[in-house]
Amino acid sequence: MMPTLFFQSGVGLLLIASFLALVFLHVKQSRIRKCFLALIILACVLFLASSLSVLLGGDALAFYLMLSGLRVSLSIDVLAAFFIGIIGLVGLSVAIYSLSYVEHVGSERKKNFMLSMMAVFILSMVLVVASHHLLGFLVFWELMSISSLFLVLIDFEKEETRKAGIFYFVMTQLSTVFLIFAFALIYNHAGTLEIITIRGLPPFIASLVFVSLALGFGIKAGAIPFHKWLPYAHPASPSPISALMSGVMIKVAIYGIVRFILLLPDKKLWWGILILILGTSSALLGVIYALKEHDLKRLLAYHSIENIGIILIGIGLYMLFSWYSQPAIALLALFAALFHTLNHALFKSLLFLSAGSVVHATHTKNIEKMGGLMKTMPYTAALFLIGAISISALPPLNGFVSELMLFQVFFSSGVIASPMMTLVLFFALSLFALTSALAAACFVKAFGIVFLALPRSKEAEMAKESGPAMILGQAILAVLCIGLGVFSFQIFQQVGQKAGISFDLPNLLLISATAVFIGAVIFIAVRGISNRNVRISETWGCGIASQNSRMEYTASGFSDPILTIFSSIYRTKKINRRSFHDHDSAVFKEGHAEVLLLRFFEEYLYLPVVRLIRFLSSFLYKVQNKVELDPYLLSSFVAILALLLYLGVAIR
Amino acid sequence: MSGFIAFAIINVVVVMALAPLYISLVKKMKAFLQGRKGPGLLQAYYSLWKLFKKEVVYSSNSSFIMRVAPYISIISALVAALFVPLLFIPDDYSGFGNIILLLYILAVGKFFMALGGLDAGSAFGGMGSSREMSISSMVEPVVIVLFAAIAFVFRSTNLFEILREASHGLGGYASLWLLLIPLVIVLLTETARIPIDNPETHLELTMVHEAMILEQSGRNLALLEIASAIKQLLLMGIIINLFMPMGFNLQVLFPAGILIAFGAFAIKGAFLAASIGVIESSVAKLRLFRLPNLFALSFFLSVVTIMMEVLL
Repeated sequence: MMPTLFFQSGVGLLLIASFLALVFLHVKQSRIRKCFLALIILACVLFLASSLSVLLGGDALAFYLMLSGLRVSLSIDVLAAFFIGIIGLVGLSVAIYSLSYVEHVGSERKKNFMLSMMAVFILSMVLVVASHHLLGFLVFWELMSISSLFLVLIDFEKEETRKAGIFYFVMTQLSTVFLIFAFALIYNHAGTLEIITIRGLPPFIASLVFVSLALGFGIKAGAIPFHKWLPYAHPASPSPISALMSGVMIKVAIYGIVRFILLLPDKKLWWGILILILGTSSALLGVIYALKEHDLKRLLAYHSIENIGIILIGIGLYMLFSWYSQPAIALLALFAALFHTLNHALFKSLLFLSAGSVVHATHTKNIEKMGGLMKTMPYTAALFLIGAISISALPPLNGFVSELMLFQVFFSSGVIASPMMTLVLFFALSLFALTSALAAACFVKAFGIVFLALPRSKEAEMAKESGPAMILGQAILAVLCIGLGVFSFQIFQQVGQKAGISFDLPNLLLISATAVFIGAVIFIAVRGISNRNVRISETWGCGIASQNSRMEYTASGFSDPILTIFSSIYRTKKINRRSFHDHDSAVFKEGHAEVLLLRFFEEYLYLPVVRLIRFLSSFLYKVQNKVELDPYLLSSFVAILALLLYLGVAIR
Repeated sequence: MSGFIAFAIINVVVVMALAPLYISLVKKMKAFLQGRKGPGLLQAYYSLWKLFKKEVVYSSNSSFIMRVAPYISIISALVAALFVPLLFIPDDYSGFGNIILLLYILAVGKFFMALGGLDAGSAFGGMGSSREMSISSMVEPVVIVLFAAIAFVFRSTNLFEILREASHGLGGYASLWLLLIPLVIVLLTETARIPIDNPETHLELTMVHEAMILEQSGRNLALLEIASAIKQLLLMGIIINLFMPMGFNLQVLFPAGILIAFGAFAIKGAFLAASIGVIESSVAKLRLFRLPNLFALSFFLSVVTIMMEVLL
C-alpha cells in the first residue's frame, strides 16, 4: 500500500506545484520558487521510492487516480517501475540544479512558468509510463509533448527558438498520429484498451501495428531519419529542460517500444532487422554528425541520437536472438538495452547540466569561443569529465558496462543457425565499434576545447564557477555514473538471481581496486627514484615571444581528419574556382572558394514532404476559394449524388 | 587467489623488465638494416633513467590533466598486463582476461593521453591528439572484429582460456593464421610505428604520437614511454602466445618451468621485435588519409576468418 501512496502523493505534489506556480506567475521572490522546486524534488523522491519498492519487492502495483472526475487506471510492473525510477532520478537532480539555474531564466513570468511546466512535464512522463490503458497513454503522451513544447519555447523572442518550436511541434504531432493509428488498429482487432493484453491480431495487422508503433516511437526517440527535431530543440531550450528531454523524454519513447514489442504476438524476423538497422544507422550517423558540431548543446543532442541508436541495437538484438530461439542471449541484449537507457539518462543529463553551466558562464554555445575553463570552473570541469568518460564507454564507468554487454551479445552471434545472419551481425558489430571509438574522439574534442588550454574569448576568460545547487545536481548524477559502473558486477549478480539468468561481467570493483593499488605503488616508486623539481614555463611556441589562444588547435582543426575520411557521408561540397592572368595558370587573378554542407535528410526527406503538403493545400485552397461558382456547385452536386448512391447501395 | 597474485607479480615484473628491451631491439634492427651501428640494447633503460632524473617542466597553461595523464596511462598499461598471460596461466583468473575490457582499459590511457596533448595549448599537441583519435577510431572496428574473430574461433571471450586452448597447438584452427596479418597491423598501429606513424620523427607533418606527448617532460615522459613500451609488449605477447606457443604454460615445477618459459618468451619476443624492425625499414610511411585502405585490408581478413568459421 505504501508504494501506491507514495506515487499518488507524488502526483498530487506535482499538480500543486504546477498550479501554484501558475497562480503566482508574477511573484518576484526567489524563495517562493525554491518552495515550488522543493515540491518537485519531494515528488521525485516519492516516485523513486515507489519505483524502488516495486523493483526490489517485485510486486506490481495496480490502482487508479481520480483526476477531475476522470478515473485513470494505472499499473506499475517492473518495467514501468524501472522507467519511473529513471524519471525520478533525473527529475530529482534537474530540480536541484534548477534551484539556482531558474534565477537566470529571463523575466519573473518565464521563471515561474518554466517551473509550472516542468512539474507538468515530469508528471506527464511518469503517468505515460504508469498508464494501464491505451487511451490514458495517449492523453499523457500528448500532455508530455505539449508541456515540453512550452518549455522549448521559453525563449520565444528568438527567431531560432520559434523555428525550433514549430519543427518540434510538427514532429511530435506526427509521432502521435502514428501512435493513434496503431492504437486504433489494436482496439479494432484485439477489442481491448488495456495495455497488458494484446491478443488476436491477424499477422498483417500485427505488422502494420508494429511499423506504425516503430515510426511513432522512433520519431519521439529521435532515431535517424526522424532525428532532426533534436538538434533544433535542444540548443533552443534551457539546459535543465534539455537534460529532461534528452535524458528522460526520449527514454519514454524507448519504454513504449520495449513495452509494445514485448506485448505484440507472433513477431517476424524482419521486425528485429528493421530495429537493428534503425539503431545502427542512428548510432553511427549520430556520432558522425556530432563530430562536425561546434555548438555544445547541439553536439550533445547528436550524441543522444547516437545513444538512442545503441539502445535500439540492443532491442533489435533482443528480437533477433529471440526469433532464433536463444532466450538467454536475447535477455542479455534486452538487459543491455535497458541498462544503457538508465546509463544514458544519467550521463547525458549530467553532460547537459554541465553544458548548461558552461553556456551560462560564457554566454555562448560555440565551443570555439571557450577554452581554459578548467581553471575558472574546476568542479564543472571535473563533472563534465566524468560524463565524458562515461559516454565514451571507458571502464570502470557505467557507459562501458552496457556497451560491454552489447559486445558480448554480438560476440555470441555464432550460435545463430543462419550463417548469413551471423555475418550481418558481425558487420553491425564493426559499425558499433566504430561508433564507440568516434564518441571517444568527439569527447576528447569537446572536453579538450572547452576546458583545457587557454580561453579563446573574453567571456571564457571571465567565466565564474556556478553555484552549489547546480554543482550538487550534477554531482548526484556523477556519483551514480561511477557507482553503477564500479559496482556493476555486484548489481547484476542480484538482478541475475531475480531474473534467473547469469551475466558474465568482469568484476570492475576488483579491477578498480587493483588499479588504485598499482597507482599507489607507482606513485610512491616514482617519488622515490625521480627528480622532484618542477618548473612552470611557457608552452613552446616555435620561437614566438608570447603564446596566445589563437595558436591553439581549434575544434574544427581537431575533427578535420575524421571529417575528411567520412566526407562522403557529410556530402560536403568544396567549390574552388580560380582565374588567372595568363594561360599557364601562373599569375593568380581572383578566386572563389566555398564549402557547402549538404543537409542530406532535410534536402531529400523533409523538404519533399513539405513541398507535397504545400502543393496539396494550395490546390485545396484554390478549389475552395479561387474557382468560379459554377464548378464549385457542380462538384458539390456530384459529391452529394455519389454519397446518396453509395448510401442507397449500402442500405440495400 | 594466491595463485593469481603470484601470476600478477611475475607478469608485471616480466613486462617491466622486457618492455624497454624490445624498444631498443627494434631500433637496433633498423640501425643494422641502414648500415649503422646503433645504440646498445640497454639504451632504452639508460634513457628512462635519465628522464627520471630530470626536472619536470609544466606549461603555465596546463591543468591537472597533464599531471595525471602519465599516471593513468601507466596504470592502464599495467592493469592490462594482468589480462595477458605471458609465461603461464594461473589456475584461478576469475574477473580478469575479458578481451573487450582489455581493449577498453588501454583506451582509457589513450583518452587521457589525448586530453594531455590538448592541455598545454600548443598546436603540436592538438594536432597529435586529433590524429591519434582519428587513427584510433578508424582502427577500432578492425580491432573489435579481429578479436571477435579470435573469440569466435575459440568460442571464448577470455584471453586466458583462448591462450590455454592455443597452447595445445593451432592444428584445429587453420583459419586463425589469416589473423596474423591484421594482428601485426594492429600492433604497428597501436605502437605508433611505420607505416602508420613514425616513432623517430619530430617533424610536424609526420608525427602523431610524438606530437601528442611533446609537452611532457622528465618523469612524466618516462612514465608515458614505459606505458607505450608495455602496450607494445602486451600486443606482442598475444601474437607470440597465440601463434608460437612453444614453451608457454609449461606444466613443470615452479622455478624451472618459469625460467624456461621466460627464456623462450624472451627469444620469441626478440624475433618478433626484429621482424617489426624489418617491417619498419622496408615500407614507407603512409599518408594519413591512405590509412583506411590498410585497415580495410585487415578488416577484410578478419571477416574472411569469420566467414570460414561460419561456413565451413
